[in-house]
Amino acid sequence: MSKQQKVKTPLRNVAGTGKAGVRYRQEALESFYDGFKAAGIDFAVFLPDSMLDGVEQLIIERGDIEAYQCSREDEGIAMAMGAFLVGKRPVALMEGSGIGMSALILARGIVQKTPTMLIIGHNSTLGERYDYHGATRLVAEPVLRALDIPYHVLFDPGDIRKVIVEAQATIEGQRLPFGILVPSHVIREIGESR
Amino acid sequence: MNRTDVLRHIAKLRNGAPMIISPGLANYPIAEAKDEPLTIYNMDMPYTTPMALGMALGWPERKVISIEGDGSLLAGPGVLSTVARYRPKNLLMFVFDNGAYLTTGSGKAPTTTAFGTDIEQLGRAAGLQNTRTVHDLDAAKDVISAAFTQIGPWLIVAKVDKQDRPAERGPHTLPMYVYEAGLIFHRAALQEKSAKK
Repeated sequence: MSKQQKVKTPLRNVAGTGKAGVRYRQEALESFYDGFKAAGIDFAVFLPDSMLDGVEQLIIERGDIEAYQCSREDEGIAMAMGAFLVGKRPVALMEGSGIGMSALILARGIVQKTPTMLIIGHNSTLGERYDYHGATRLVAEPVLRALDIPYHVLFDPGDIRKVIVEAQATIEGQRLPFGILVPSHVIREIGESR
Repeated sequence: MNRTDVLRHIAKLRNGAPMIISPGLANYPIAEAKDEPLTIYNMDMPYTTPMALGMALGWPERKVISIEGDGSLLAGPGVLSTVARYRPKNLLMFVFDNGAYLTTGSGKAPTTTAFGTDIEQLGRAAGLQNTRTVHDLDAAKDVISAAFTQIGPWLIVAKVDKQDRPAERGPHTLPMYVYEAGLIFHRAALQEKSAKK
């Protein structure tokens, strides 16, 4: 990260961030970060979204993974792929709708053997409470399936670190993008009566 | 101003720098000048500059070049604001503006620059500071030479004619397939970085 991009924020409990009523599971956020570090991830690009904001803010706070915010998700995936080409281990974080915008650049990455890890908020089935996420819910997994991109839907927060490490092994070994989808209950504190 | 003349000048100054080229006729003069391993030809639009931006941020010691057309940049102009936000000093963006989707079909379909859209002003509005529009080869050579020696990011718009479109569509051959481009580029970048450690 060049000097003018350094983001200096006081260390704090990221679990308190997010829009009104949203609390993140701090242990889940830490597991994402630990997984990234264990996998050698050193370049992150994201478009802010409610589901993954806690992870993104934690990356910025800790400061030892370069973090950049893009204007569109497909632009961000292309940035991540560019970083891979020059020797970085990138991750791109986005809401599921972003995968819907990114079929072409993902296809290019497959054809050109230029992969990136994808962390994706929202999934097809679990915890999708709001009607306005209907299109988001519909688009991510079908695009991944259509392009034969391997992906994993998290269920147990205890799996986060291992899934990230193993996904990176697939990314580097097979030169393929890999999607990790994050249902709400994995990353947020939610009650049973929602 | 002929696009090929400008591309040859860029190729002369390139010194093996990482380069991504948008789809179309601009690929061939670059390949003819010298095929370099740190090249991605015929990037799907609008991903030329976004991928170059990721390279520039990830490899700040190296100049990184994106070769855009007006059509390809206008397909994703939001990236100019991302470039302006992070201001990678090593990123050079060259846009060849002929006012048309020249490579496609008849080549007669105009882009919006034919109706007044100003790509340099898009860059200025996005927050870029080192921007130029050039209309003749001498001016183009001057500003391109400056961009290779001075701090970026640079957005240089070259207003070019449509004379480099061949009358007959011949075989299109480039030195490498897209299928191998990522492997060749990645390996070359890692080797260069390793050699400089």
